[in-house]
Amino acid sequence: MSRRLRIPDLGGAVAVILHRPHPTVAALARQLEAIGLRTLCHWPDLPPAVQSADYLFIDVDPAHEDQFPWLPGPAPMPTIALIGSEAPGRIEWLMNFGADAQILKPVGTAGVYSALLIARATFDARAEMSDQIDSLRRRLSQRQVVVRAVALLAARGKSEDAAYDQLRQMAMAWRISFEEAADRLVENAATDKEADNG
Amino acid sequence: MARKIEIGVLFSRSGPYRLMGEASRSGVLKGVAQVNEHNRFDLSFHPVERDPAGDVDAYAPLSEDILSTSGARHIIGCTTSWSRKEVIPTLERLNGALWYPVPYEGFEASDRIVYTHACPNQHLLPLLDHAFRSHGKRGYLTGSNYIWGWEMNRLAREVTVSAGGEILGERYLPLGSTDVSRIVAEIAALRPDFVLNQLIGPSQYEFIAAMSQLRRRDPHFASPRCPILSCNLTECELPVMGASADGIVAAGPWFQGMPALLAGQEQKQDFGSSFEAAAFASVIMLAELLTHRPGAEKLPLAQLLALPVARKLGISARTHHTRLPIAIARVENGGFNVLNILEPIEGDPYLTAGPDVPRPVLRVVT
Repeated sequence: MSRRLRIPDLGGAVAVILHRPHPTVAALARQLEAIGLRTLCHWPDLPPAVQSADYLFIDVDPAHEDQFPWLPGPAPMPTIALIGSEAPGRIEWLMNFGADAQILKPVGTAGVYSALLIARATFDARAEMSDQIDSLRRRLSQRQVVVRAVALLAARGKSEDAAYDQLRQMAMAWRISFEEAADRLVENAATDKEADNG
Repeated sequence: MARKIEIGVLFSRSGPYRLMGEASRSGVLKGVAQVNEHNRFDLSFHPVERDPAGDVDAYAPLSEDILSTSGARHIIGCTTSWSRKEVIPTLERLNGALWYPVPYEGFEASDRIVYTHACPNQHLLPLLDHAFRSHGKRGYLTGSNYIWGWEMNRLAREVTVSAGGEILGERYLPLGSTDVSRIVAEIAALRPDFVLNQLIGPSQYEFIAAMSQLRRRDPHFASPRCPILSCNLTECELPVMGASADGIVAAGPWFQGMPALLAGQEQKQDFGSSFEAAAFASVIMLAELLTHRPGAEKLPLAQLLALPVARKLGISARTHHTRLPIAIARVENGGFNVLNILEPIEGDPYLTAGPDVPRPVLRVVT
């Protein structure tokens, strides 16, 4: 299935470059400014305020975790790796750090625009996928509740299939997810039982 | 004693887009003649010419030939985006600059190139705006199978859909193919409000002829209904299409009969088309940048465009694109009738500047 690329709003966006003063920075900044972004350069460390930037470019050759004002893990914005050395150890560091796009050094007269589009799309896809994984995990952890709810309904004389079907209809009627319906059913049953006992 | 400066000229004089190449080349030669006969320039230009003959693989070696066997550092050349991309590595390696004087699809800002004709905010967007207001928002897209057509149509789809319109169909032909019957049949069946045509050369000529037959047999398509829109049609291609071109609506920075709004046009106005006028303007702008600055012809392009005179000429040092007026014109009786002229606006190759809605030119009454 082909995805239609959503073109990000780049006019006035802020790109942070983590690189020592160097012609690479000038070539990068020229391209970014031609596209319409504002650039900020930092070296050797990123101040916490950069967390609100829209894009981050990092120099992979000398990069290490202490340069970044966030806990180890994905950066809070789309990140583009500037790769000089292709030594496997550096690539391994980069894989662990996580970049959304890359540009090989030296930076020439083009390449930044496509890197921005790819980085934004990859970053958004990653965020979306992580949301989906969270939601699947939640549903998975509710599996036990579903089994209990179906068992409760089946105990009232229904077949397992009919019980399943009834639970689905309850979820639709209450306009909540299947798992939430199961949760409510199990909770209600427990309350009823308490009432009976009390 | 005038400084003698060689400049490269790289246009195809044969092949499918030769009419455009010839028009650009003629503009360069008129510009050179103008510079050489004017005393206000302390220099004279000497063309170093090569003809790639429409072969995309000839552009890189020929640009290398110009830069390595002559003193020329500036080349005026290329018609297609494909050939322009082929030349860039050579420009970088041999420290050359390209003046690219034809309309293109944007999304580029090489620091080795000056873009002196229109990009989408100066042709496609105002043209679609005109079509939406005058004809409707249901479009059909067609083009030749390469980057110009693909990218222009992608943008047209995005703009049309976000304006609340729809794209009824989209179809491409290989470069040089004249097999247009399927496209015309589809248009006849779908009945769009407008057709955006990005076909080039013989494909376009055949398509225009077939559409003109459709207009004669189906009253739904009788002019001025369902116009064909074009972002690169100029006077230089009208003669080969004859009467069948009548009714095409085009956008461009200049059409015959318009006031002088491009660089150097106050001195000369007998151009065949905007291809010629923009190539002429490129030569004049280069002369303005180099004149009375001995050695400036060796400067990197970025330094040359950082001079205050570049800004005055309408060239942006940031994007290397030029400030251009926009005209919307309709083909009538073998020529263009200008419907609307909008004030010059900056080229915005990445469409990031936000909506800079061009305003109609206000004529100053004195």
